[in-house]
Amino acid sequence: MPIYNASLTHIDKSETKRYAGLSKVVFDEKLIEHACLEAQLLSQAKGIWQIYDYNHSTHTIEAEVPANIKGKVVQRHLQNATKIIVLAVTIGEDIENAVTNHFKANNYTHSILLDAAATTAVEMAADTMEKTIKQYIEAKGYQTIMRFSPGYGDWDITFQPEMLRLSSAQEIGITLTSSMMLIPRKSVTAVIGLVPNCDGSALQTSHDCKSCNKLDCLARKESSI
Amino acid sequence: MIYIFDGAMGTMLQDAGLKPGECPELLNIEKPKIVTNIHQQYITHGSNIIETNSFGANRIKLSHYGLAERVEEINTAAVKVAKAAAGDKVKIAGSIGSTGKFIKPLGELMFDEAYDVFFEQISALVNAGVDMILIETIIDIQEMRAALLAAKTVTDKPVICQLSFNSDGRTVTGTDPQTAAITLEAMGANVIGANCSLGPAQLLPIIELLAANCSCPISIQPNAGMPHLVEGKTVFPMEAEEMASWVPKLVEGGATYIGGCCGTTPKHIAAIKKAVQLLTPAVRQPRKPMLALTSRSKTVFIDKTLPTVLLGERINPTGRKKLAAEIKEGNFLSVKKEALEQVHAGAHILDVNMGVAGIDQTKAMYKAITEISQLVDVPLAIDTSDAKALEAGLKAYPGRALINSVSAEPERLAEFLPLAKKYGAAILCLPISPAGVPKTAPERIAVVQTIVEQALAIGMKPNDFLLDALVMTVAADEEACIQTLNTLKLYREKFGYPSTMGLSNISFGLPNRPLINSNFFTMSLAYGLDAPIMNPYDSAMQDALLASSALLGFDKNARHYSLSASNANAPTKAATAPISEMDLLTRIKTAVINGEKEAIAPMVEKALAEGHSSTEITDQCLTAAMNEVGIGFGSGKLFLPQVLLSAEAMREAFIKIKELLPLQNFQNKGTVVIATVRGDIHDLGKNIVGALLENNGFHIIDLGKDVELDTIVTTALEHDADIVGLCALMTTTMPQIDFVIEALKKAGSRAKVMVGGAVLTQEYADQAGADCYARDGVVAVNLAKDLVGK
Repeated sequence: MPIYNASLTHIDKSETKRYAGLSKVVFDEKLIEHACLEAQLLSQAKGIWQIYDYNHSTHTIEAEVPANIKGKVVQRHLQNATKIIVLAVTIGEDIENAVTNHFKANNYTHSILLDAAATTAVEMAADTMEKTIKQYIEAKGYQTIMRFSPGYGDWDITFQPEMLRLSSAQEIGITLTSSMMLIPRKSVTAVIGLVPNCDGSALQTSHDCKSCNKLDCLARKESSI
Repeated sequence: MIYIFDGAMGTMLQDAGLKPGECPELLNIEKPKIVTNIHQQYITHGSNIIETNSFGANRIKLSHYGLAERVEEINTAAVKVAKAAAGDKVKIAGSIGSTGKFIKPLGELMFDEAYDVFFEQISALVNAGVDMILIETIIDIQEMRAALLAAKTVTDKPVICQLSFNSDGRTVTGTDPQTAAITLEAMGANVIGANCSLGPAQLLPIIELLAANCSCPISIQPNAGMPHLVEGKTVFPMEAEEMASWVPKLVEGGATYIGGCCGTTPKHIAAIKKAVQLLTPAVRQPRKPMLALTSRSKTVFIDKTLPTVLLGERINPTGRKKLAAEIKEGNFLSVKKEALEQVHAGAHILDVNMGVAGIDQTKAMYKAITEISQLVDVPLAIDTSDAKALEAGLKAYPGRALINSVSAEPERLAEFLPLAKKYGAAILCLPISPAGVPKTAPERIAVVQTIVEQALAIGMKPNDFLLDALVMTVAADEEACIQTLNTLKLYREKFGYPSTMGLSNISFGLPNRPLINSNFFTMSLAYGLDAPIMNPYDSAMQDALLASSALLGFDKNARHYSLSASNANAPTKAATAPISEMDLLTRIKTAVINGEKEAIAPMVEKALAEGHSSTEITDQCLTAAMNEVGIGFGSGKLFLPQVLLSAEAMREAFIKIKELLPLQNFQNKGTVVIATVRGDIHDLGKNIVGALLENNGFHIIDLGKDVELDTIVTTALEHDADIVGLCALMTTTMPQIDFVIEALKKAGSRAKVMVGGAVLTQEYADQAGADCYARDGVVAVNLAKDLVGK
């Protein structure tokens, strides 16, 4: 079904700083810029998504072979959704190899900054795809709620095989290790709940660090502590 | 005259009994009366253009219903049922919607495939007798280009191009209204507009921008507000009267074709019709013809009234063996790197040349343009003498490109000008004729005159030209510079079109070429050069440009110049004390703390030469610095990348000491075997710990990631490890830590076990029987020192 490969014409510097744990400090901008440029060069963004009906009473994604979502937090998150998007995004292996090689060449700092820029890139690719999906969805009278991935809250990571199946992620080259890690490592799978836009009431549409209990997260937004 | 389209078709069909999952366009054949009736209602309520029920009747969309082979039949029927309602007074627009797939590289669909799909559908509609083609609700400029190209090939009838924009004012694939208007007008769109996705309020500023950037009539078909879902049904809230209240503003904004999209009904059309009756079309300011090039998401203007535009020349394998070899292998990494870095260095347009001998130029140009346009947002110039390669590049390019170049040689004119016209590209006119390179300025003017006349004759416009002034070598001809400068001057006087040229040829064969080049550049700018083709990394040229911009009045109050000049002198770091006043050892320590990797080795060398011992340097400078950094990190004043910069600097210092004193024995604090456990492929965190331990005098054996239990145990025993460091980042791999610890104990290893990784905690470490848990790399170093008791 729909494949959308985001064009990344820049990599956000402040997000890269945030993922590198540098949001609060003055740091050599040139090093950040250098990492962002390399991430942009090496990213090969690919994305794919599928849409399904979602039964929020039974927490079931109603695919041909249905899938049941377990975990109180994620179930609550999706409690008003009647449809669900299952998406997968990757920026490919090259950037991961570059991160490893830079570290091996003793460019430690550049390696971790590139890793942070790569995280930024895959999130930006997912954001771009989400924006595209939104246009289709809003025209049909739905609102989207925040992207949610296995591993967030109490949604067990062992749901990943279902995520790959439901999103057809193999078509863009994403696979899984037996320990549930996505390969390429800079990949994201997520669901986006679609809530009927009945009354236009405000929905949580973006990640809120406050709702997360990982207090020592490097990327935690300052105002959320 | 203001034309009135109809309103929504889909919702009307649903009201008339179309069920979810049924093909709306099949009704043209199966229940034609229903469709005719809807057309009739719109006509009765005031439409003077109706749209065929063929929005999704392309091969790709119809294939979802198993109807791919009935494209012609369904479209022909669509026109027939529309005609049954239209009579003589109402025009019929053949509706063309998206294939639902994105074109490469955004998606998987090939441009040619999309073109064929549209060609098939448009041919059917035209053959059946539509009055115009309406391409609508398109969100990808590349899909619009494919459809428009197909329409222009099939028919001379008017083509209306309507994109759908997002609430941020761009299509979701990034195209802004200005860029869309310029790109589509150049390709021959007859009417340009916007429909769907937004209501009239949000579409108003968009059509204003469209109107300001083209001379085509403007069309608009808004939704009836933003939809809601009521009992499973999509409902659009805006009533007819409210919609109509926007009509005067839409007309004032430039629209002369008005209709409705999702949620609009015959009532809305009647209200729009009523509102229009009192209005006359807005008088639009004629746009000053100005050369504009576009990418998917950006427009760049080149004009004498605007600052200099820099055309980056670096994507060119001529004389660059490595780049040529890579392109030949099909590896475009260096090409992409040149693209990114030139834009970073300030290039506004990139020239793309794939002139490698013995390769398929067409394939290479297609790939280069596809990849570069996905990576950077500046417009591209397609630099080739091969018409096939040129067409491949023009097709792949989601904007209005520059063709580099068109000379007055008959073959070039015959092949390149029609391609420029077809794909809406601008041309770089090179004053070279079959007689060769004209030496004097008036001769060059005459040759360019020929090119321009022929281009205008096939329908190109005055804003399609960029004139090359030709640069010859001053060492070979003392007139070379003067003739070029005069050419620039005459171009402005005679044509008024913007000018370009490659500069560096002027200094060929001379010593100190940068000096000649930058002086020539300055003179050329004064004589009217608008868009130099140059190496954007050349700082002398960039400086000349900066100064010239200030001198020629393109840099108000010389602001950019001042900022740039003062930036160059600004200190990069806030020094705590003047470096020069510190003693050498303190300076080394400070350099490690600041992570000054490049500065450290010479200082260490000097310190050793001055008689400081390596132990002194290690203890008083390096270790002391890292301790300070560690404390800073622990207290939250310093962050990991800063710690690593210091670690890199420290490493450089060690390397220097080892190089100068190869027999020096560094104390080994202990042997550490370190690994990310089986099943886990994260290794950056583990690598950081390894690097920091190594800097602190530990001997590190790094087994990498996804390491088998046996390998860890065997290595620990074999090397009699003091410490085994285990890393896991996932709940799914964490249990491996328990197994490894158990196996180590069983095998009789004396090693202490340190564990760490994102999901690990002190509690987990305790229950697994680890000797310690390290939260981060700095903590790991301190714990390791404690574990070995040194």
